Amino acid sequence: MGSEIIVVIVVATALIFDFTNGFHDTANVVATSISTRAMPPRVAVGYASILNFVGAFVSLEVAATVANDVVSVNANSIGLLAVFAGLVGAIAWNLITWYFGLPSSSSHALIGGMVGAVFVAEGSENVFFEEGILGKVMIPALVAPVLAFIVGGLAIVVLYRIVGRLRPGPVSGGFRFGQVISGGLLALAHGTNDAQKTMGVITLALVANGTLSGDEFHVPDWVVGSAATAIALGTYVGGWRIIKTMGSRIHKMDAAQGFAAQGSSATVILAASHVGFPLSTTHTISGAVIGSGAAKRLSAVRWGVAGNIVLAWVLTLPAAAVIGGLTFLVARAFGTGAAGPIIVSAAILTGAGMLFARRSREGAAPGVVPAPGSTPS
Amino acid sequence: MIATVVDWDALLQVIWVSLVAGVGVPAAWGFALLGTTRALESGRNGRAAEGVVYGVVGVVGLATVVAAIIFSIVILTGD
Repeated sequence: MGSEIIVVIVVATALIFDFTNGFHDTANVVATSISTRAMPPRVAVGYASILNFVGAFVSLEVAATVANDVVSVNANSIGLLAVFAGLVGAIAWNLITWYFGLPSSSSHALIGGMVGAVFVAEGSENVFFEEGILGKVMIPALVAPVLAFIVGGLAIVVLYRIVGRLRPGPVSGGFRFGQVISGGLLALAHGTNDAQKTMGVITLALVANGTLSGDEFHVPDWVVGSAATAIALGTYVGGWRIIKTMGSRIHKMDAAQGFAAQGSSATVILAASHVGFPLSTTHTISGAVIGSGAAKRLSAVRWGVAGNIVLAWVLTLPAAAVIGGLTFLVARAFGTGAAGPIIVSAAILTGAGMLFARRSREGAAPGVVPAPGSTPS
Repeated sequence: MIATVVDWDALLQVIWVSLVAGVGVPAAWGFALLGTTRALESGRNGRAAEGVVYGVVGVVGLATVVAAIIFSIVILTGD
């Protein structure tokens, strides 16, 4: 009975993580559409949430990587506690970066949290540092933003060559319409890559509980459906502070740049999803946004803001790992039953409530979108 | 060590697909805009033959974008 309660808590925590992933990450997906006025904010967010939902059903390659290639857990209560602690590490880091308005990476937070918790719980032999973390997470994580930077830059150079002599009015209108398509593809790509990470973690928990066999990878339909719903709801609620960072603080974009940035990042994420690389949407679209700006004019990019984003990326994996490891120790201190997860869940909910209340008091509550062209804070 | 742990086939596939589709599809959209805009201008100025040529460029550009999107979805859902 105790392990069943932990499974319910782990699944609920994973879906909350998925919700915060949508809340935290998908703002990046719609930022370019909003900043170029291709779509009104509420329409862009609603549209992105629907396509995130659809995207979650497209593939299972990334879920297989997360469930099989990063860590393994033993089929016992310690394994379940480790999965729970890893999720808490990721959620805590997402909340911290949300509070400070930093575009971190939910994906790397999740992987960092799982690695830290499993390392502390089960030892280094259950963490696949080489083929899994280095080969399928770290190297693709480095390649993706650089690739998106190059593709975004090349795309905008080619686009300007093709349409450069046309009257700007109709062309801008055409690219805004194009952003409806490219933004939709990016939302679909986000749902495909990110929702699968949650599916992978829930699958890992079900294996740890003995509900699923560890010999054959299988994601139950209810896991796919619930992960799709959670990320879509998170997207709809939205992370408006980060829209501001991605959409206007890196550089002011025109519609062609927004189209090129969205198209190139969607392509990179979809290609990576096809081969099972758990990429970060934030990393990838940031690279494409910077590339599309740098190709036009290097000085158009606010490199200081871009540097802060890179710093947040570098911190994400180790910070989430430390929080995941510490969370496991705290939960384990209450035994191997449900008491630890219940107490930790109550603590994280209280902490999240305090952060939201404080943010609301400071007058920057979620849901408040700065007017286009307003001065970035 | 890195050379042995990275799945180079998969990584190279991501790189070339991203380069081809990430530049090619926006370029096709650019040609769709170019063709449409020029076709309308040519039509207004009474240059019908030129308008038809630009119209074909626009239609081919748009068809390329639609085909690329459908193809990518089919490939992904086949996983």
